[in-house]
Amino acid sequence: MATTTAQLILTSTDLLSDSLSLSSIATLTTAGSSTGLTGTEGLGRKKTSSTTEYTLFDASAATDDKAHKIYLKNLSTTASEYFEIQVGGVVIGRIYAGDWAFFPWSADTTGTNCDIDITPSATNMTLEYMLFTDE
Amino acid sequence: MATTATLTLASTDIAGDPVNVSKVATLTKAGSTNDLDQSTGLNRVHLRSTSNKVLLAANAEGDNLAAKVYIINKSDDASLYVTVTINAQTIGKLYGGDFLFIPWSQTDTDADIEVAATNWTSSTGDIPVEYALFHEDTDFLTNA
Repeated sequence: MATTTAQLILTSTDLLSDSLSLSSIATLTTAGSSTGLTGTEGLGRKKTSSTTEYTLFDASAATDDKAHKIYLKNLSTTASEYFEIQVGGVVIGRIYAGDWAFFPWSADTTGTNCDIDITPSATNMTLEYMLFTDE
Repeated sequence: MATTATLTLASTDIAGDPVNVSKVATLTKAGSTNDLDQSTGLNRVHLRSTSNKVLLAANAEGDNLAAKVYIINKSDDASLYVTVTINAQTIGKLYGGDFLFIPWSQTDTDADIEVAATNWTSSTGDIPVEYALFHEDTDFLTNA
């Protein structure tokens, strides 16, 4: 069993009238257990050459309805450039330059395939990504 | 007015070489370097329903503006999970202790973020969920 942790720290000294300092640590485990996730596709980068939609992760290639986790980061340094993220054809949001996202993935294939698709706003952008799998 | 979000992914044994990814993002308005300047603050609800409940109601004025959402399942029970959906599409399940941090475009007023304590029963107890929204538009409404 592997041990993988994800830690999020949110901080701000001036967004609110009191300082914000929030820290959460999660140990990535298989669905419904305390057993650590053992699969990963490693840290990868995708360079895009057009503004068309790309399928980053195909739900049919992953076990349905488990505890997969996804990390995405837009490596652009141009503030206006973003990747639009879709899950199962539904737009979740945009990660602008420097933004990252971390979320669970059901990889559901009942009905609509819950693929992870990305659409870059400009040509020649780079997305960093990592998938932790529960197989 | 900078707010930063730092993610660290670490493992010594999930792969042949250690994983140690640490990234810092400064939360900014869409397409700019201006900081996000609004937040709901940290909220807490106790789920005791297997049906979807609106955690954050979409506002069409938020369409493609920058918003970031943090949600964590604070249950100590690893088997109790919260199913997260956006615009009726299941994103994934947050098991006890799991969190997410995602952008939220609110492409239309149907793009609510909903949660359900899918495997909750009267004997499992409530599932505490904490969440926060960081955003930029002017008249955002939340509904917990």
